[in-house]
Amino acid sequence: MEPLWRILSQPDNIPIALMVPLFAGLLGFWWRTARRNDALLAQGGEAAVRSAMDGAVPEGTPDPRVHTWPYLLRIELIAALVVTVVLLVWSIVIDAPLEQLADAARTPNPSKAPWYFLGLQELLVYFDPWIAGVLLPVLIIFGLSVIPYVDVNPAGSGFHAWRQRRFAVAVFLFGFVGLWLGLILVGTFCRGPGWNWFWPWEAWDRARAVPMATRNWADVFGISSSSGASAFGALTVLGWYGLGLVAWWRLRHRPLVARLGTSRFAVVAFLLLTMLSVPLKMALRLGLSVKYVWTTPWFNV
Amino acid sequence: MTDPRPPTLWTRRDVQTRSGWALLSASLFAGFGAFVRLLFPRVRSEPPTKVVLGRPEDFAVGEVSERFKKSHRLIVVREALGFYALRSVCTHLGCVPAWSAAQDKFKCPCHGSGFHRDGVNFEGPAPRPLERLALALDADGNLVADTAVVLRSERGEWARDDAFVRYPKEGRP
Amino acid sequence: MSDAEATGQPGEAPGLVREVVKSALRVENVDTPKNRVLAVAHTVWLHLHPSKVPRHAVRFSFTWGAGGIAFYLFLITVVTGVALMFVYRPTPEHAWLDMKRLDFDVPFGMVNRNMHRWAAHAMVIVVWVHLLRVFLTGSYKAPRQFNWVVGVGLLTLTMLLSFTGYLLPWDQLSMWAVTVGTNMAAAAPVVGHEGPFAAPGVTAANDARALLLGGPTVGGNALLRFYILHCVALPLALGLGCILHFWRVRRDGGISGPAAPKGGA
Repeated sequence: MEPLWRILSQPDNIPIALMVPLFAGLLGFWWRTARRNDALLAQGGEAAVRSAMDGAVPEGTPDPRVHTWPYLLRIELIAALVVTVVLLVWSIVIDAPLEQLADAARTPNPSKAPWYFLGLQELLVYFDPWIAGVLLPVLIIFGLSVIPYVDVNPAGSGFHAWRQRRFAVAVFLFGFVGLWLGLILVGTFCRGPGWNWFWPWEAWDRARAVPMATRNWADVFGISSSSGASAFGALTVLGWYGLGLVAWWRLRHRPLVARLGTSRFAVVAFLLLTMLSVPLKMALRLGLSVKYVWTTPWFNV
Repeated sequence: MTDPRPPTLWTRRDVQTRSGWALLSASLFAGFGAFVRLLFPRVRSEPPTKVVLGRPEDFAVGEVSERFKKSHRLIVVREALGFYALRSVCTHLGCVPAWSAAQDKFKCPCHGSGFHRDGVNFEGPAPRPLERLALALDADGNLVADTAVVLRSERGEWARDDAFVRYPKEGRP
Repeated sequence: MSDAEATGQPGEAPGLVREVVKSALRVENVDTPKNRVLAVAHTVWLHLHPSKVPRHAVRFSFTWGAGGIAFYLFLITVVTGVALMFVYRPTPEHAWLDMKRLDFDVPFGMVNRNMHRWAAHAMVIVVWVHLLRVFLTGSYKAPRQFNWVVGVGLLTLTMLLSFTGYLLPWDQLSMWAVTVGTNMAAAAPVVGHEGPFAAPGVTAANDARALLLGGPTVGGNALLRFYILHCVALPLALGLGCILHFWRVRRDGGISGPAAPKGGA
């Protein structure tokens, strides 16, 4: 467990140590509230949820709202004071690190990005830089931005709930917790010298030689000619996105899908399949040592 | 009520409004273009690209020399038949691969790419071999590398004369 | 001739202190329901708030306090960052030594630098928490779609601010995180010289990475460019974005919530 402690006790990794219980706690709290609200919705609709959220309103109050001054502003003041005190104590107790002077001729081993980008750095193991460093970040930002326009379900706005929007919440949590936060944890705790995989309880062996020999997707099926491999890769990728068409054909009469319409469905299917392809490619790499699924003279996927 | 004037595509006011907007957008666009151009200065000052590496005898056969790695980010390799110079810049994302004599390979610390001693990639995410630098023997018999002339294997540039300096010259296979 | 004489009204002018306070606050410092409303509506710093808010809006169980705390952390990084700018010089000769000076020589330099660093880290986490909360409460749904997009923009700016700040200490961590990060720009399709489908004429000297670095490698020009992005361009953009974000919260109907019971607001 000594390596785990060494990673955790690095000042720059303290946010990660805080983040894990924080998000676990928040999600647990959300789940409890969402289940309570689900039950309230079934009994008395949104009005029941609103009553529960507002708490007791004194008898004979004409307006159920409260004055911003002082009820909101005092909370803001207290929150600001608490944050300031916590930060001040944190800053007095723990010093920000400063490594050696920048040296363009010597790369530290391992060389890790700041913790909030370690998920993207982990993707570099499985994808070429233009995908991991450019395409996927752009798609993440794009995908987040279109959420309000493709989520046409009007229910569950303004309160924690689960039953009314299971699909949307499940997809978001998979991407945010499973992929984004999960890969950050992998990059932080499971990667050592040479970007090799070390379990948190394993000592970092700098001399460890791990065979990283790889092959391409077509090689798995014994296709050796480069044009054949290229065509096979193209078929695989097109087939994967073709699943979106199949899904459309199978689901087109469902009320939700009909409400989405073709353009929204296409955007959702593309983003969803792209998101799912990330863990799939990781599995191909880790399980079958596949480096590229699709090779062409111009780019490799 | 009918308009007595002949029908025109744009009225005089339309023309004036549109040219006004066009002028304004063109000026803004030009201003932005000028700013972007400012970020690419005409002259870039860079250190001299020719590096004198010393006498060929200074390198032992089979040696992978990191003598010029710190100063010029280049690696000199001496084989039985001659010399070549590798840029010690990983072709994945630009980290500095470290030579491991025990494993007879270059290993990049950033994402684990591995290269044989001739620069060819064989493991990890690197998409292509390390780049070689043009190498020559000058009139005084010194080995000289040119960091401005980058030779890439996948473009067939390793077949060029300056990608591999034969030494000693009479030692032909 | 006093005003009282001019208007023919009897009595003395209000007390001096009271007049000064009222002229500054524009509201009499007397606790009445009307003055509580005016205190918010008549003060430039507070008028982004409505005068009254729903009861659930003041509960941490609903908001998790994340949006407000994220903005407060941004303010802390601005204040501590401005203080650091008085000591720090963005050149390869000085940057790292100025960090050492901050740590060992400048009074309160270390604690100031620590606060800037930890507030920035906390801001990244809290912005993620805010994203999660707004998603889980479905608060992006009509009519608030566009404000969610603004929020995604602010999230992106937060990450870019963190990334550009990473280079400034000019240590080994900075050097290699930014080398790797900017080499990805070189691998970008069309605008990067190593990317697929690089546009004709795109070389290492004029591609997206050269734009970021101002040179072939991470050097003095890169430090200057990242410094300007970190201290001027990105904070300005984030500040303007926050104004838009907060204004839209008001205009899109205030904080989200379930439909109120009959008779309520």
